[in-house]
Amino acid sequence: MHQWGRREDQRLTMGKGRFVADIEVPGCLDAVFVRSKTGHGTLRSVDCAPARAVPGVVGAWAAADLMDMPACAHSASVLQDLPPVPHSVLARLSSDEAVAGREWPALVKERVRYAGEAVAVVVGEDRYLAEDGAAEVTFEVEPLPAMVRPSDAARDSFPLFDGLSNVALTGEAGQPIDDSVWRDAAAVVEGRYRQSLLLPTPMECRAILVAPDADRLTVWAGHQAPHRLRRELAASLGWPEDRVRVVVPDTGGAFGSKSATFPEYVVVAYLAVKLRRPVRWIEDRLESMMVATRGRGQDQRVRLAADADGRLLAYELTIEADVGAYPHLGVGLPMQTAWMATGPYATPKVHATVRSVLTNTMVTYPYRGAGRPEAAIALERSMDTMARRLSMDPAELRRRNLIPPESFPYETPTGRRYDSGNYAGALELALRTVDYDGWRAEQARRGKDPGAMPLGIGLSCYVERSGGEPGGLFEFGGLEAGEDGSITARCGAASSGQGHETVFPALVARTLGVAQWRVRLIEGDTGEQPEGLGSFASRTAQVVGALLWHACQLLIDEARRRAARMWGVPVERVEWSDGTVRDAHDRSAVLDLSHLVKATGPLKVDDRFETGMAFPFGTHVAVAEVDPELGTVHLLRLVAVDDCGVVLDPEIVHGQAFGSCVQGIGQALYEGIPYGDDGVPLLGNGLLDYLLPTFSEVPPIEVRHTRTPSPGSPLGAKGAGESGCIGTPAAVVNAVIDALQVADPDLLQMPLTPDVVWRAARAPKRGEPR
Amino acid sequence: MKPAAFDYVAPRTVAEAVDALGTGGRRAQVLAGGQSLILEMRLERIRPDLVVDINRIPALDELRVRDGTLRVGALVRHRAFESAHAVPGPLGALFARAVGNIAHPPIRARGTMVGSVAWAHPASEWCAIAVALDADVEMAGPRGARNLAAGDFFQGPLKTAGQPGELITSVRYPLLGDDTGVGFVEHRRTHFCFAQVAAAAALTARGGVISEARIGLVNCADRPLRAHAAEAALTGVEIGPPLDGYRLPENHPFARAGRIAAERDAAPVAEPYADLEYRGHAIAVVVARTLCQAASDQRSRARALEGESR
Repeated sequence: MHQWGRREDQRLTMGKGRFVADIEVPGCLDAVFVRSKTGHGTLRSVDCAPARAVPGVVGAWAAADLMDMPACAHSASVLQDLPPVPHSVLARLSSDEAVAGREWPALVKERVRYAGEAVAVVVGEDRYLAEDGAAEVTFEVEPLPAMVRPSDAARDSFPLFDGLSNVALTGEAGQPIDDSVWRDAAAVVEGRYRQSLLLPTPMECRAILVAPDADRLTVWAGHQAPHRLRRELAASLGWPEDRVRVVVPDTGGAFGSKSATFPEYVVVAYLAVKLRRPVRWIEDRLESMMVATRGRGQDQRVRLAADADGRLLAYELTIEADVGAYPHLGVGLPMQTAWMATGPYATPKVHATVRSVLTNTMVTYPYRGAGRPEAAIALERSMDTMARRLSMDPAELRRRNLIPPESFPYETPTGRRYDSGNYAGALELALRTVDYDGWRAEQARRGKDPGAMPLGIGLSCYVERSGGEPGGLFEFGGLEAGEDGSITARCGAASSGQGHETVFPALVARTLGVAQWRVRLIEGDTGEQPEGLGSFASRTAQVVGALLWHACQLLIDEARRRAARMWGVPVERVEWSDGTVRDAHDRSAVLDLSHLVKATGPLKVDDRFETGMAFPFGTHVAVAEVDPELGTVHLLRLVAVDDCGVVLDPEIVHGQAFGSCVQGIGQALYEGIPYGDDGVPLLGNGLLDYLLPTFSEVPPIEVRHTRTPSPGSPLGAKGAGESGCIGTPAAVVNAVIDALQVADPDLLQMPLTPDVVWRAARAPKRGEPR
Repeated sequence: MKPAAFDYVAPRTVAEAVDALGTGGRRAQVLAGGQSLILEMRLERIRPDLVVDINRIPALDELRVRDGTLRVGALVRHRAFESAHAVPGPLGALFARAVGNIAHPPIRARGTMVGSVAWAHPASEWCAIAVALDADVEMAGPRGARNLAAGDFFQGPLKTAGQPGELITSVRYPLLGDDTGVGFVEHRRTHFCFAQVAAAAALTARGGVISEARIGLVNCADRPLRAHAAEAALTGVEIGPPLDGYRLPENHPFARAGRIAAERDAAPVAEPYADLEYRGHAIAVVVARTLCQAASDQRSRARALEGESR
């Protein structure tokens, strides 16, 4: 029988996974949302009456209907109107100030602010009947100008919220750079880059099932942060947290997009309580594409100065960010880009400014990379522009500027403290692995052969941040040893497919010296683990791994104390090895953990554990062949050298690196949301309108690792989940620019679709008159 | 979105299917592979009252050659054409070159060539080939059977000359002779999506000179097209030697024919990521490359024929 590499794979690949939509709760109703097709407008009327007449429809409501719904059930005294969508200040993603005066109603009250925003909800005995009902709801929206570019919205000609600016947040990192620096520098290059809005596109879209039972609620949701969902739903309902249990069953991916409390979740929980019946909402693909969170979304301007030897002097990054219609979830996300603007270079002066602008699109929110790809892409494109300006090999320019290994911890001008790194080591390994000199020779050969398609080599050195922001670098959990020899690990994390069930039992087993099969993991359940933060920001290996390692030490200490008491010897004499306690002076005194538990009672340790922020880094190299006649980009090779400190499970880290590289290719070449003139996304044909890289588009990818442990965590592990999204896009774009040698690299804005590349290929080359 | 309620019948004969399609003014849809229909029903862009599933009609899965004509029954799946030997001669080679561009193996195992013709999507590979080769569309209807030339069958995006109540039973193609070389080139953004532009070509040459050119254009207008003007410009042109590199000289007859196809034959429609300027240019390039491929095929077939005759 084949042994699966991961414990969960047998279940997941044999169709035995249990996702929210697989959970059968008797009498469960299906919710369907009626959504605006207009991107911006005034809601004049909604008529749900025809839907209520459809057989099998249990109810249909617009916001106004839920404002005067007759009180019923036990909770009526505290549950009057449909609550608004909560905002979160976690990781400074939003702020009380930014949301003041900007309510996000869970169903549109007066103003539609993004296409797909829900104006009504229909609940039916099953999804088909609810859909039939939803088709009967009529409503009228009087259109207002829809603004989907931040530059349009920032003019404030049409405020999304009356009396308030569309600029919802401004911020900066680093100190402003004096004009003289730019004036006196031997070389200054500028660039303008668009970071398109991207769809996170997990295989399973969002899903929630809320089942009331007396005065309690059980919530099943594919979610990255079950404790947050519990806290925010409880607060919305006006309930104490201990009456809500959130369970995360198998979850088909998240990539950042499943960690919030979304409008639909508020509505579903509210209706379950009001109707005293289980209600679920299973988002489908088209819905997800219209109304799930977006990633990226920045218009950037940069200036980079260097001396004649190519030593960087100053870097300035100006970000106009598109944060979508409501500032509740991600208005502060672009600050992640500002804080990481320094990148891996020892640039003495760096200044980044942010304007977060409200636009008529669903909100932007962390998507795998979450602010760091935007920083890395802007800087790495600029590095290539600088290398061309100085007629210097792009690898050499980077080599001269990477922060040297002896400089760590390194305080950046933009306020980060990099924990550890050997950036040049990653660069050199990447160059060797790809055979940089060999490809440069091939490029030169093709340059002399008019029948050969041009070829380019693109580099991208990156450093990112894992673990989360201060105030969110801890996690809760513990271990429990059973009389049967089993060891149960609990933690506040929640897997959306990353393999926690494999990695953490293996880690615990390794640390305790017991067989892996004895250890099992329970997570993603607030009923099992009372406190937790969740899985986001590439924090789980780093923070939860460290927590479970720490819990192992607590368990070993407690076992040794108990054995010492039992044997009447000092604790220093009791040793732990291979899951047993033994007296160092008495060979006959040996006790397996299970026997110790039998003799001394239940053994359970719990704690909270905190690590430092960590800064994974690496170098990615792409080799691309470009067909200038059609604008097609063929990636011939991608090398990803990542350093995520100490690797806990090589197979899983490889999977993370590979998958994120593919998503990085997606941002560079394929993914983008087309809009109509009315500001409505043109996504009616689903994933035919928003192209993801598929098997046929994936080039040979070689993933290599260097290993620089993080000093901020006992395991030395850094996050590994986002490297490809951060490192790969600029490598691909730089390779295309290198192939075409265009005079104005700003012509190549992602996604590098054939029409974009073709136009750039026809534009003047470097050295040609423009 | 989920489909609205519909009735379903699975007739066992063509006559029963035609009866079912004609019943009482209801909106009926034929289900063969379901490649497009199921998707459209899920999106509720098509809400049939009745789905007529023809998969149990035994006569319709026939793939047969008789008197130099290939007859493809309505249930022959795309997959059947993956081998260049499934159909004799260059026609089989052309089908094999085209079919790999259609979706993925699971879809090719269910979707049908005739279903693609019935659906009449402007980006359909089969529709353009049918037009280029003067295929015949055979239909059964309440008033009996009739044939229509493919060139007259397609009338716009998803629009055909087929009447309500009619079932396409087969599409017939003339076989191509061994002096004909074929090419098929498709340009698209990823393997998953529809063609931005594709072209099919069949070049017949005698003594190295093109005596007949047939060019089908995929997604170059609101319907599949035959590039008559470009074809005319190729008659009497030498097949010529193979060319080095990917870029044809501007004055090469194939490059010229590509530009004629783009300027005089095609009527492209703008799409996201393919405006008229780009699409026009891409048509010229893709047609030229398809002709190069067909010429190369013709040369090797001619060499093989010479070998046989020695």
